[in-house]
Amino acid sequence: MESAAGRDRNRTRLTAALLGNPNTGKSTLFTALAGIPTRIGNYPGVTVEEKVGRFSHAGRAIDIIDLPGTYSLAAQSPDEQVAVDVLHGRMKDVPAPDCLIVVADATNLERNLYLAGQALEIGLPTIIALTLSDVAAARGVAIDAEELARRLGCPVVPVVAPTGAGIPQLRDLIVAAPHAPPPPRPDLATHLAAVDGDRPPAAREAIARYAWIETVLAGAVRRSRPAARTLEERIDALLTHRVWGTLLFAAVMLALFTSIFRLAAPAMDLISAGMDQLAVWAESILPPGAIRSLVVDGILAGIGGVVVFVPQIALLFLFIAILEGCGYLSRAAFLMDRLLVAAGLSGKSFIPLLSSFACAIPGIMAARTIENRRDRLLTILVAPLMSCSARLPVYLLLCGAFVPDVAVGVSWLRLPAVVLAGLYALGIVVAAAVALLLSRTIFHGPPQPFVMELPGWRWPQPAVVLERVREAAWSFMKNAGTLIVAVSVVVWALATYPRDERAIDAEVAAVRATLAAAAGDPARSAAERAESAAELAALESDDGLEAARRGAAQRQSALGRAGRLIEPIVRPLGWDWRIGCAAIASFPAREVVLGTLGVIYNLGDVDPGEEEGATALVRRLRAARWDGTNRRVFTLPAALSIMVFFALCAQCASTLVIIGRETGGWVWPLVTFSYMTILAWLAAFATYQIGTRLGW
Amino acid sequence: MKPQHVPSLDRVAVGDTARVVDVVGSDPTGLRLLEMGLTPGVPVRVVAQAPLGDPLELEVRGYRLSIRRADAARVAVASC
Repeated sequence: MESAAGRDRNRTRLTAALLGNPNTGKSTLFTALAGIPTRIGNYPGVTVEEKVGRFSHAGRAIDIIDLPGTYSLAAQSPDEQVAVDVLHGRMKDVPAPDCLIVVADATNLERNLYLAGQALEIGLPTIIALTLSDVAAARGVAIDAEELARRLGCPVVPVVAPTGAGIPQLRDLIVAAPHAPPPPRPDLATHLAAVDGDRPPAAREAIARYAWIETVLAGAVRRSRPAARTLEERIDALLTHRVWGTLLFAAVMLALFTSIFRLAAPAMDLISAGMDQLAVWAESILPPGAIRSLVVDGILAGIGGVVVFVPQIALLFLFIAILEGCGYLSRAAFLMDRLLVAAGLSGKSFIPLLSSFACAIPGIMAARTIENRRDRLLTILVAPLMSCSARLPVYLLLCGAFVPDVAVGVSWLRLPAVVLAGLYALGIVVAAAVALLLSRTIFHGPPQPFVMELPGWRWPQPAVVLERVREAAWSFMKNAGTLIVAVSVVVWALATYPRDERAIDAEVAAVRATLAAAAGDPARSAAERAESAAELAALESDDGLEAARRGAAQRQSALGRAGRLIEPIVRPLGWDWRIGCAAIASFPAREVVLGTLGVIYNLGDVDPGEEEGATALVRRLRAARWDGTNRRVFTLPAALSIMVFFALCAQCASTLVIIGRETGGWVWPLVTFSYMTILAWLAAFATYQIGTRLGW
Repeated sequence: MKPQHVPSLDRVAVGDTARVVDVVGSDPTGLRLLEMGLTPGVPVRVVAQAPLGDPLELEVRGYRLSIRRADAARVAVASC
């Protein structure tokens, strides 16, 4: 009797487990009982969320464990297995519960009693909480809770969690529960005898249990009016309509997408500006040198890189919690399922993938709404292939500068726009191919059940919505934030050290000498000489000298050496070692590539987001030549190769950290990084080689 | 195996109601369909189908359930 032993151990603190089907108002009840959870984490060894709340009642402290939503205790998924293990006191570091609260949706009692019937067999003192009893009453469903309690042999409390009705009685019952006798086991024997015997035991049990439920409910539940076509049904008919349903769906998704793109932008700008201010302030109080560089370019840049994602995450989860709360999330999965099944995914992958066009981080976090392990993992693995907003500046700069602005077929269709659209399409096509391939190979297995409840329409509960948003933002900052900052500091160190002042001076002197020689070389045209003279004059200015020294320092740092080391690998892509450096430096975030190119080409800190910075960078890139030759580095095939590489590569440490956090280990981030980098290289190689052969 | 003459749930027209006769197969999906209430004898109404024809929206035991056509094909039904 493990549970009895557990009860003796915890005389002072009571532990209650909250069990229920998904979409039963379980979260609302949890919030009504315990408020904000005291602990949110993962159960050991599995990525199933552990949520524990705490409250005091009648002088007793009560811990309440919110078990994952489950339809049956004949566990088929890791979530359901966790629920079973916790209930039987078999979960490591989780105390065996003293009592069990089964949440049963009063509007859907027949199916909800299936789980309740299984729970009654565990032998723990059990209380049944009838949630949504107000909605049931409004629909004309009268439930005789006392009669039900008599038939089931355990207390049955109708609750309306948002208003708090029934909550005090429920608390009284929880405190009294350890002294209450466990409920009798449901009598399935007579019903089992009625089921024909050639079925497997699990199937016979399921059939017998529904027969038992029908006898329990007979007479205890009355409908005062027949279940006619209600308003709810008409809404449903509209939303699943072939034309109107699809149009409404497109409108809702467009609103969701543009809001995470646009509504988040002002907040993100504000955060960036604030971080810039902080950097300016830090620069003003710290003496120049290694510490200042570490604080400003390493730590503050890293923190900024974390906090800047919070508005998008918060907005997306606000949307998801509202859609989930009113029941539309399941309808969205219902509408899109067929399309995504073709790619080996499921309808529930749609919102995570759509969100990933804004940013893969909230997208991957949104994959939590996919209960099915396989579908969830597949979605997480391909989500970073969607072209996120961080790729856009890279695309725009390179498309604008190196793709000729010529018409494609019709005069209004310009080549740069076609290339840009092609890059987005590339991500989608590759994601579909990867998902299909993985679902046929390493994720191959028996077909995954897609048996999804479409919950009734109801108003989202503000407390539950806000808790979802708070939890998502907080878990991102706490769990991913520290790692992202650490990665930023490491990359800063690589780009800064080793630093040899004399070597930097020597390199700058060499550049000066070359420019001086070129400016006075009579073999070159007057214009060329004037250009070299202008560059020389720029180098002599304070800013120019500082930029040149920064460029030299970066080229001599570990990063610069790494860039030279990998040159044989990136040369087939049409890149010189400087682009290789920029690709390595952009590991924390793709958009860093432009800034790094600016530094490496002696521009100093330019802001490629501003027109002036962008034109200066484009001018520098156009002028770039292969070392020791007069051959341009940035040709059309090379620019396309860079863009294709950035469309498919995994140069985003935050995404990898989040994948690690969401999948509970380092295996999947490594798999993601490896497959994406290989694909990116191959595609960039093909692009450059084909482009060069075709003489672009 | 399912005899050919028994109609299955995926053949029921949208708006029609049928009575479940059996769920074919004892794999996890088959069991889950039973657990969700599609047990022999229960009436099921096909409420809608998704715009691309799959999955189906069902009404069973007073609630809405969505399953794919491939799974609905395993649910043998009789008209009622």
